[in-house]
Amino acid sequence: MFIINCPYCGERDQTEFSSGGEAHIVRPKQPTELSDDEWAEFLFMRKNIKGIQFERWNHSHGCRKWFNVVRDTSNDKIHAVYKMGEKPPVNK
Amino acid sequence: MLNFETTVQDSKSYGDLTLSEVEPILKINLRSNKREFSTKIGKLLSIIPPIEANTSSSNEDYSILWLSPDEWLIYSNNKISYEQQNLLEENLFNNISNTNQGSVTNVTDHWVMINLKGSKIYDLLSKSSPYDFKNFKMKKGSVAQTLLNHTDVILHNIDDNNLNLFVRRSFSEDLWLWINDSARFL
Repeated sequence: MFIINCPYCGERDQTEFSSGGEAHIVRPKQPTELSDDEWAEFLFMRKNIKGIQFERWNHSHGCRKWFNVVRDTSNDKIHAVYKMGEKPPVNK
Repeated sequence: MLNFETTVQDSKSYGDLTLSEVEPILKINLRSNKREFSTKIGKLLSIIPPIEANTSSSNEDYSILWLSPDEWLIYSNNKISYEQQNLLEENLFNNISNTNQGSVTNVTDHWVMINLKGSKIYDLLSKSSPYDFKNFKMKKGSVAQTLLNHTDVILHNIDDNNLNLFVRRSFSEDLWLWINDSARFL
């Protein structure tokens, strides 16, 4: 259990949020020109880092907005929270 | 508009704590990210939708709760008939939805409003909510969307030890039973 600082509502318990997986995955510009392997890479393959990870989260039981979180997966420490479309405040 | 029978239709009292379902109350959901939206609502209802998170604004007749940066919930402070509700909904719909300023949805039958009164309401809510009520109970008019017994609720602090709780209709009976069950042990 940890506390997430929602950029819209403020600090809330983790149970109010749902995780949306890895952030900053760019959709290929020409999907029709990709091979099946490349498409599968974009669609399914995700990093599973022990350490600092960039994630998307949704405040599903609050304001229902999406935002990004920089979280250390080894100790659940949150280093930064920023809105969708913004650049990460720490280097990726 | 459909006129459902409400699910709770009850009022209970446990010592200092009073719980009652309030209806018929008009509830309207507003969504917009347009600039003129606020002034339009201000003209129609003489109250401006709050911009600050977790707050509300009220006048004699209506309260507007902040739900998200582009979403608000209007509800009437007093009981009003279904005819009046339809008139207001139509007025808002014509001025906002039809002019492409945002969306107006009547959620009167979607939310059930329960009024909780008494010095022990926060003890009751803290039994099964992850929300920290410290600031909420100090500030009149504050709004919180959170979980109560695993159910989504909207809480509106209307006065000291007096709050309105909105719960979705399909979860209302379950939450009402849970609230009553928990209130017995306070």
